[in-house]
Amino acid sequence: MYGNAYMDAFQVLADPSRRHIVEALRAGEQQVNDIVRSSRIHQSGVSRHLRLLLDSGFVQVRPQGQQRYYSLCPGPFNELEAWLASYRRVWDARLGRFAEALERRQAAAAARKPRKDR
Amino acid sequence: MTLKTPPAATFERRYQASVAELWALWTTKEGFESWWGPQGFRVVVHRIEPRAGGALVYDMIAVGAQEIAYMKNAGMAVSHGTHGTFADVVRHRHLELVHVIDFVPGLPAYEHRMRVEFFAEGRQARMIIQVEPHSTTQWTQASLAGMESQLTKLPALLGARAAR
Repeated sequence: MYGNAYMDAFQVLADPSRRHIVEALRAGEQQVNDIVRSSRIHQSGVSRHLRLLLDSGFVQVRPQGQQRYYSLCPGPFNELEAWLASYRRVWDARLGRFAEALERRQAAAAARKPRKDR
Repeated sequence: MTLKTPPAATFERRYQASVAELWALWTTKEGFESWWGPQGFRVVVHRIEPRAGGALVYDMIAVGAQEIAYMKNAGMAVSHGTHGTFADVVRHRHLELVHVIDFVPGLPAYEHRMRVEFFAEGRQARMIIQVEPHSTTQWTQASLAGMESQLTKLPALLGARAAR
């Protein structure tokens, strides 16, 4: 639905396979074979999604000899968290105005209502 | 739940009110104008048609000095015609609003969807809002940076109101 050519953080994490990989890496640094086992995604799929996670900065790789170890980068997650907190503050304020508008509406309706105790 | 992407945020509130009262704040001109605009902005609704495919057309007008300055600095007009559509509307149950975001300098137009659900619970009404992420976190962060400066005024305003 978005017009942007690049994939932003939410679109990266919107894919369930990539979320499985992120979940697997929460346990710590892993090689591709370990991720394949814990995420239950085919190796070609893991490699493809890992490339995207690397490109978008969610994952980093550490070569050691012939091995390559993948781990999560905190930066994008921290940015997401900060963004969500900001988003939440804006909506909290908006819903504060919603509650005030509701109270004004109810007060106006009560004022219009004829009193029956007279 | 029919959002196309996972919601960026979900908000849930309970009110001492009927669902009809909450519904009116979303679906009538007077109701929507009374709360939708951010602090320092005024909303004037031109069309509001709460049915699937119905239009929502309104002007968002910066009226506060800080907000006017912010919009000008961001390269945006102080008054902007905003349009969207209602989708998947079931009266007093749920509605979806799809806004067309076509006013961000440097970004192509995109759609932004939110879903609102209403539940009657005794003498209370519960409302759940699910909001899709915006097209780019960068734009939203820039936008919110300006809004946050306004929000810092809110506690002072509320304090003044409580003291009256």
